[in-house]
Amino acid sequence: MISVKNIYKDFGKLRVLDGVSCDIKDGERVVIIGPSGSGKSTMLRCMNLLEEPTYGEVWIENDLLTAPDPYLHFDVIRKSKTYSSLMKSAKAAAPGKSEEELDTEIIAKIKKEDLLKRFEGGEYSKALSEINKESRIDINLARRNMGMVFQHFNLFNNMTVLQNLTLAPLELKLKTKEEAEKTAMELLARIGLEDKANEYPSRLSGGQKQRVAIVRALAMNPKVMLFDEPTSALDPEMVGEVLELMKDLANEGMTMVVVTHEMGFAREVADRVIFMCEGKIAEEGTPDEIFSNPQNPRTKQFLDSIL
Amino acid sequence: MDFLSKIIELFSTEKYMDSIWEGLKLTLTISILAALLGLVLGVIVALVGMAKDSWAMKLPKLLCKIYITIIRGTPMALQLFIMAYVIFAIRGFPLVITATIAFGVNSGAYVAENIRAGILSVDIGQTEAGRALGLTGATTMAKIVIPQAIKNVIPAIGNELIALIKETSIVSMIGMYDLTMAAKIIGSGNNMASYIVPMAVVALFYLAIVYLLTFGIKLIEKRLRAGDKR
Ligand SMILES: Nc1ncnc2c1ncn2[C@@H]1O[C@H](COP(=O)(O)OP(=O)(O)OP(=O)(O)O)[C@@H](O)[C@H]1O
Ligand SMILES: [Mg+2]
Repeated sequence: MISVKNIYKDFGKLRVLDGVSCDIKDGERVVIIGPSGSGKSTMLRCMNLLEEPTYGEVWIENDLLTAPDPYLHFDVIRKSKTYSSLMKSAKAAAPGKSEEELDTEIIAKIKKEDLLKRFEGGEYSKALSEINKESRIDINLARRNMGMVFQHFNLFNNMTVLQNLTLAPLELKLKTKEEAEKTAMELLARIGLEDKANEYPSRLSGGQKQRVAIVRALAMNPKVMLFDEPTSALDPEMVGEVLELMKDLANEGMTMVVVTHEMGFAREVADRVIFMCEGKIAEEGTPDEIFSNPQNPRTKQFLDSIL
Repeated sequence: MDFLSKIIELFSTEKYMDSIWEGLKLTLTISILAALLGLVLGVIVALVGMAKDSWAMKLPKLLCKIYITIIRGTPMALQLFIMAYVIFAIRGFPLVITATIAFGVNSGAYVAENIRAGILSVDIGQTEAGRALGLTGATTMAKIVIPQAIKNVIPAIGNELIALIKETSIVSMIGMYDLTMAAKIIGSGNNMASYIVPMAVVALFYLAIVYLLTFGIKLIEKRLRAGDKR
């Protein structure tokens, strides 16, 4: 479903993601945990390109969301001037070595030392734009399939609850007004908030806001839902209702990526738990593996600190 | 009772009233035209200034920044003099146009800043939520950000308009016959030989204009707020 390939993210000089790769499978429930500042939100936001990775690629099924990263395509590297000049001098220096051996060495060197330049010649550019043409998808199209839920709900303050749910389907001409409102009312019925359809978000409690935010995303019929600490801004007594809704979604087979500090939820719902630390995936595994038998001392330390 | 008789004298002397109407006409003409120019300029400059950083936008963005810095960093009177005596120092060039451009260009910088501040006052999360649903940047702006920004922008732009109208009084410094100049001439020795009455009357005219404008802005604000009962 989502494939994150070796992404790096720099904010100025600060490297926040440091070579992260992961595959989210269809129907999988992945929970991301980790200390504050470890890059969990950034990683999640890279998945729908709210943050653009500095290097690396993000794929949704067969669609490329980011610009192609030449370092991930060996055949592209081979077309660069840097590669051919390195190959030429390497051949002269070590005439005995086989071409394959040299190829592996040079590609490793180019990747390690970031040797590719902006302009690497016609064949190289052509290869990159070929990938772009074949796989790149308009980000706005891709996002229709990916719902996102934010820590601070981000309901549209200038619209009623109903308008919040119908805005995107209507603006993107996916539904008629009647259809969109019917779907919206069904979704509101599902969370027991039909009577709030014409209220403005400021009149809702935190838990109600977050549940509306979740069904607003569902109104687009997404294939995957991304959650960034959906319960962190809530009063404790409202956490439960939001987690219940998320569990329901999980039971229906929704593909979900959830950044959270709710370890109970992770244990109960996750197929896989990813522990992030300093911009890297430090450890991943089933909830049982991570919570009961962490291998990485950082994981253990983190779990001890929060439990 | 001298004061009262002077007031009666001013309002009953056709020559004086003509002066006031002429001055009022010029003040309003410059104010309205400059406000329109300032609004258009302000919107453009705000949009350019807030556009995403990119290679093609580098120069326009820099120019907008310089424009705002210079306009906000120098006195209005000096800007007016530069327009009148340097840029449009062409014999026969209509002063009304010179003044309109000077005030419009000045106002544009402030309007741009007001718009920018208004848009930035809307939580970035609103934009992110819109974009995450697959809406384009333009749709998100139009349907989500601007409707929320406008509540902050309208009063600020209203204040800017009020400041602009009052500031036009310095056109008398380049020899134009506006409301303030009318008061000065009516009060001079050849005419009433007393400044207090014409100045007070003209002050009332300014007050009336500003009051009407304030009232209009309040009305718009109320409408906007009624639009989403919060
Ligand atoms: N837009 C930004 N500009 C600069 N630095 C940023 C930006 N966004 C995040 N960072 C920095 O990147 C680092 C990782 O941030 P991120 O929000 O991904 O962490 P997190 O794991 O989600 O933490 P938390 O649990 O506190 O939400 C932090 O040091 C943060 O200050
Ligand atoms: Mg975070």
